[in-house]
Amino acid sequence: MSETIQRETEVSSGETLVDVENLKTYYEDGGLLSDEPVKAVDDVTLHIERGETLGLVGESGCGKTTLGRTLVQLESATAGTVEFDGTDVTKLSGSELKNWRRNAQIVFQDPESSLNDRMTVGEIIREPLDVHDWKSPRERRQRVRELLETVGLREEHYYRYPHQFSGGQRQRVGIARALALSPEFIVLDEPVSALDVSVQAKILNLLEELQNEFGLTYLFIAHDLSVVRHICDRVAVMYLGNIMEVGPAEELFADPANPYTHALLSAIPEADPQSDKERITLRGTPPSPRDPPTGCPFSTRCPAKIRPEKYRDTDDELWERIEVFREVLRERDRAERSLSERARALIGMDTRFSDVDEMHEELFGDVAVPPSIQEQLDAVEEHLRDNDEAGAIDLLREEFGSECDTETPAHHEVSAAGRTSLCHRHKDEHEEPAEFFTHTVFGEQ
Amino acid sequence: MSETQSDEEVPLRDRIAANPRPALQWLAGAIVLLAVEFGAFIGVIIQLALTVVRLLPSNPGAAALASAGEAAESIPTLLTRGLIPNQGYQTASGEWMGTFLGLEPAYAWLLRVVLIYAYAFVWLGWFWVGYRWFRDHYRYADWTPRDDVVDRLRSHRWGQFGFVLVLAFFVLALFAPALGPTTVDANIQSPYTHYTKYYDDEIESVSNVTVGTANLGSTSQGAGGENVGPWSYDDYGRFHPFGTLTDGKDLFTFMAAGARISLMIGLVSLMIAGFIATALAMLTAYYKGLADLAAVITSDSIQSLPVLLVLILASAVFGNTWIANLYNGAVLLIAIFSVTYWPFFWRALRGPALQISEQEWIDAAKSFGQKPRVIMQKHMFPYVVGYLLIYASLTLGGIIIAVAGLSYLGLGITPPTPEWGRAISAGQPYVATASWHISLIPGIMITLIVVGFNALGDGIRDALDPQSEGGEETGGEAAVAGGGGA
Ligand code: SF4
Repeated sequence: MSETIQRETEVSSGETLVDVENLKTYYEDGGLLSDEPVKAVDDVTLHIERGETLGLVGESGCGKTTLGRTLVQLESATAGTVEFDGTDVTKLSGSELKNWRRNAQIVFQDPESSLNDRMTVGEIIREPLDVHDWKSPRERRQRVRELLETVGLREEHYYRYPHQFSGGQRQRVGIARALALSPEFIVLDEPVSALDVSVQAKILNLLEELQNEFGLTYLFIAHDLSVVRHICDRVAVMYLGNIMEVGPAEELFADPANPYTHALLSAIPEADPQSDKERITLRGTPPSPRDPPTGCPFSTRCPAKIRPEKYRDTDDELWERIEVFREVLRERDRAERSLSERARALIGMDTRFSDVDEMHEELFGDVAVPPSIQEQLDAVEEHLRDNDEAGAIDLLREEFGSECDTETPAHHEVSAAGRTSLCHRHKDEHEEPAEFFTHTVFGEQ
Repeated sequence: MSETQSDEEVPLRDRIAANPRPALQWLAGAIVLLAVEFGAFIGVIIQLALTVVRLLPSNPGAAALASAGEAAESIPTLLTRGLIPNQGYQTASGEWMGTFLGLEPAYAWLLRVVLIYAYAFVWLGWFWVGYRWFRDHYRYADWTPRDDVVDRLRSHRWGQFGFVLVLAFFVLALFAPALGPTTVDANIQSPYTHYTKYYDDEIESVSNVTVGTANLGSTSQGAGGENVGPWSYDDYGRFHPFGTLTDGKDLFTFMAAGARISLMIGLVSLMIAGFIATALAMLTAYYKGLADLAAVITSDSIQSLPVLLVLILASAVFGNTWIANLYNGAVLLIAIFSVTYWPFFWRALRGPALQISEQEWIDAAKSFGQKPRVIMQKHMFPYVVGYLLIYASLTLGGIIIAVAGLSYLGLGITPPTPEWGRAISAGQPYVATASWHISLIPGIMITLIVVGFNALGDGIRDALDPQSEGGEETGGEAAVAGGGGA
């Protein structure tokens, strides 16, 4: 315990504990045939200060869990560095890695699956101590008993089996196991999302108490922004393997910069029923991380996407349809084709775009299409009829695309507190996302 | 057990020292049970050692072991043919001489069989009591997941039926020398160096005759008077519970000895195949990728071979080499079964092992730096071992059939070593005659044993998989729900 008491005094911030630099974690998935790796984490740079809680939010599949697992070296990084107190842990191996592991632990999402239920709770919490040969067996048992109390369980639970516990209690066991080696840094991978709402608050409180008591540094992964708001000092918003916006929680919630953050925040149900805040609805689902869009990762769904100069005044409804049209073509182009479909395409009997007219009718049937745009669409559909889908997609991009489709945005600094946001709209020549949303979604319409 | 909450954990030894009564009683039970059969146990151990020694090139110490074995035989044991003899002769007055208390041989033999089975079931009870007492007196946890498995097995009638059949078979194999009305050595291996006494009506006195001669006079060949059926005596006053074989040898003795061989082959090859399969399943599930692929290809190639044909081929090819003579051909069979059966096991274990390897507790163990070997042992193996048991019990019956099948074809175990298949094959021409018992009894026994192993396998599966039963939760959960808060 002496270690932990000593730790208490050094609760501070401003000092970087974890420094992630251009981290990429790709993995091959689905065997031998897929040539493109899944780009789960694609170029992430961020830092975590000692003693703080950094929230990591995003839709499922955005790579946040993989990022968390890479930080504790459960996944190996494809490129980039993870510096922990100045040591690049992605390069560690053997006993160095094992020693370092004491410093960084993880609490898993599903308490059903994270505890081996053939072992007693005591054995489970003791295992990390055994692995690292921590002091004597007697002291280990003593430590486990203390840990049980620390996380709000009782000493006599030592000889119980996980089966005998509720979800919340099991999660407490998982937390005790993570604490066993007195780590400095803990990744909390959606620690409460599998629990009942009534239990969630208790576990969150416990986590905060533990942080205060032991000066822990947390990476708190969540898909639920409302949970993050209360527990986190800073928040990083992740989309398709990229950090879209990262900055102090209060600021980010009060005045989001990135269009994606805007969209996520507007999806939180408002506490005040009187509020007539408009929702920003995102169409479709995130694209596959195997084949992310060129340019901005959010470009296929961004409601604030920059339009080319000449279409700035085009009707929003029509513009939306054009975007959908592009998305449909991209999706189809990406979809696996069966052998017979390929054969039919080769002999000119393509099945996939034989419904061009139907599609046109469905998409543009009930909106007025100005002749200039109609002309472009006709040209595109001509390509489709000739089975030249790549040509059709290119043409659409050239005509209706913007820098959002072609250039990867920079991480623009958007506040004095060092908040950054990945979006072209922060460039001087464009309208800021916030302004854009004020006069579109939230404004006069 | 009184709650030892904040006390330090004491090792089991100290816990027993603190409350020695149950442990001592239990131990005393074991000593009594062992004492009555001490000679037999020593004999079995020496036999095993001898088998191992004979497999070694220069037979070190074989002679010493053999003499030790003879010495062991002279230790008085309760359940032996010596103490409860069933061989004797009937005088003209109808009195039985030489049998236990002058009983009719059938009843003397029956008494011995009943006593031996009772003895085996007492052992079983001893184990059960040990488990209960450990649970009640010494174990810290008042509930473990294994308790549920045991409880579910206790209410599984079909599984228990299988268990009893399997146990009966094990006892038959283990106590084969004491169970048979006569011995393999005297009746089957070297009948012309052993003698049997009988009362000769013509000269009205007791005569001595070699067992071989007596066998010739008690053959079962269907036609005419040449048949000694089940539960009958032959002309020399010898009792045959299952009748005799075509050459006059005792079928029951033959079956009991055959059970030993079948069981030995089955168990040893299952252990080898199971070990290979489990080790491989752990490795392939943990490392996945190439390791898995290599194992898939290897096992697929082996599995694509028809096992029976391979068996026949290998038995024929190695038939005249030194391997085929080890332990009457059993070693060769074990080798073939081990090689051909592990892919089936591995295939059966691969799915569960992969599933377990995806569990987060594996990641948790990795995250604090647990060694891969320990992860496999501690976090994966306990979840796979149940499947191993299920498949082992389902396969054992198959192996026994295969061994019998090979012997039926004249391959496998070398004659005259008893093997069930040979009895079936020998009796086949007489199935429709008065000597129907030669084929039918071994046939029924094989069927029963296979059914028994399958039922046991079903029972284990249902016990391990709570989903197979409606309610899965136990009282334990409610008991703890009060504490802990969350
Ligand atoms: S760069 Fe373009 S697509 Fe990406 S978030 Fe900004 S406006 Fe939207």
